[in-house]
Amino acid sequence: MGRYILRRVLQAIPLLFFLTIFIFALIHLLPGGPEAVLFNRNITAAARANLRASMGLNDPLPVQYIKWLTSALTGNFGFSFNTNEPVSTVIGRAFPQTLQLFGAALILALFIAILLGVVAGVRQGTLTDYSLTVLAYAGIAAPVFLIGLIFQDIFGVALRWFPTSGTQTASATFTNGFAETLDRLWYLVLPMSVLSIAFIAGWSRYLRSSMIETVKQDYMRTARAKGVGPVRLLFRHALRNALIPLVTVVALDFGSIAGGTAITEGVFAWHGMGLLFLDSLDRRDYPVLLAMLMIGAIFVIAFNLIADILYGVLDPRIRYA
Amino acid sequence: MDISERLNLNSTTTGDEIEPFLEVTAELVQKRRSQGRIIFDRFMRNKMAIAGSLFLILMFVLCFLGPLVWRLDPNYANVLSVTNTLSPPSLAHPFGTDDVGHDTLARIMSGGRVSLLVGLTSMLMAILLGIGIGSVAGFYGGIIDNVLMRFTDVILSIPLYLLLFVLSASFTDGTPKSVIILIAIFGWTYAARLVRSEFLALKEREFILASRTIGAKNLRLMFRHMLPNAAGPIIVNATLLISTNIILESVLSYFGFGIKLPDASWGQMISDGQNLFAVDPWIIIFPALAIFLTVLSLNLVGDGLRDALDPQMTER
Repeated sequence: MGRYILRRVLQAIPLLFFLTIFIFALIHLLPGGPEAVLFNRNITAAARANLRASMGLNDPLPVQYIKWLTSALTGNFGFSFNTNEPVSTVIGRAFPQTLQLFGAALILALFIAILLGVVAGVRQGTLTDYSLTVLAYAGIAAPVFLIGLIFQDIFGVALRWFPTSGTQTASATFTNGFAETLDRLWYLVLPMSVLSIAFIAGWSRYLRSSMIETVKQDYMRTARAKGVGPVRLLFRHALRNALIPLVTVVALDFGSIAGGTAITEGVFAWHGMGLLFLDSLDRRDYPVLLAMLMIGAIFVIAFNLIADILYGVLDPRIRYA
Repeated sequence: MDISERLNLNSTTTGDEIEPFLEVTAELVQKRRSQGRIIFDRFMRNKMAIAGSLFLILMFVLCFLGPLVWRLDPNYANVLSVTNTLSPPSLAHPFGTDDVGHDTLARIMSGGRVSLLVGLTSMLMAILLGIGIGSVAGFYGGIIDNVLMRFTDVILSIPLYLLLFVLSASFTDGTPKSVIILIAIFGWTYAARLVRSEFLALKEREFILASRTIGAKNLRLMFRHMLPNAAGPIIVNATLLISTNIILESVLSYFGFGIKLPDASWGQMISDGQNLFAVDPWIIIFPALAIFLTVLSLNLVGDGLRDALDPQMTER
């Protein structure tokens, strides 16, 4: 297994290299370009040329690419066209926000989805199962912004339990780190819940379907005959064998961290990667876009690798020769 | 006596399916049926699956034949009439009207034709592509698996939004065909990785070795023996893809692909109504409900299909 992981990590290097070319080309194919979108229309031709030169847009594309790649390899991703800050600063501001929101939502979703999936799978065809099915598809069919607005209305406006937008209390002074963390968690509750609903709905469906197949296997009967209790039977014996599809999908959804949260971020004014991506796309902010897409690609590759490793852990018969 | 009592007690308290031994009667000795026939028969006995199918047919009838009965023009705007814009459900407009006075019921019908067509065909294309790539990768493993899965990683790493932005400049094709193909190109990755993961586990199982021993060829092993065992996650993915694709269609029309205003689709009715939700929630509720009911009934059909395909399912 160690050799397999090493090989996959080494493979990731040429893959990422290929992706830099592909993504670089795609970004430069964007209609308009920074000149049309970002520059003031009334500036003189000389100023325009100056701006182009300062952004490095005068070189031929291959030269631009090589310049970007060589500096990126040394950890310098350039400066944002939009704010003139270093790209690392711009992303360093947005990424922790998304990581918090996304991470919290996914962990919450994972717990609830496993619970609901197991219950629905074991109780297939009962009222419980059908109720969970209806709820799951309501969660899938309801647009995210709609769920967001409803949550804001109920828990924020009517009940006044949680703040409706932002990431922490503005201009508040905190006596200690604990109070600040608590305040941030407070703001996290609503966006996290809204974001997790679609994940819970989808993931519980996958787990339900594989649990239905697993509980009918012979070894389940054997385990029950040997006197294994119901909870241990379901969560140790059945769940482990039913997890492979769920692991696949969860890893794929984790991989969407770089842009998968845009709508929720928009509804709750949570300035993370999703909003940054849309904003950079609108403004043709090439350096920020490039860095974001490469981060996204690293997440995709890493989580699919983790999924492949987990398959072998869950089912030792799976080998990658 | 004592033992049989205890057996009885067990079967009633735990609710386990202890099946009585069947006597071999004339009814049980049936003709040998084909695999397809067995699956079909099982499906037809599943009440929920039949209910789902019927509802789906009803949805198609509503969208395709409904306009013959409900004759209001879905694209007839009536901006000047105050009573006819953003009106709640009434007798004249059972589902209400939108901000320019379109009748929502008529638009649900005309929009449903687009959404059902795009949702179902793009789902089918994506699933078939995913099954093809995933089963080859999982079955053969090694370098084939590696190449196909790294290709999948590449597709997953390109955000759809970025590509749509790029493509929208170079060509704007107004037919649903381009929308369906674009959605399918991005939709197959989950199915491929799901099928592959199932195949990785299935190919190590004893029954595959057994079939191989008696001379089953690779294609037969893949599609006759392994694929039905991987049906569960594929069907879940297919059902979820429909609602994803119906919503995606509206994203694509925002970029100038596919339908254009004043033509309607369910996804577009929702995204257009987004800003008016506070004023008139009805303009979102009905298209969202249409998507919900479609996906729910498709799920019932899918569950019935899954049960029918399940080799562990005993004939009852």
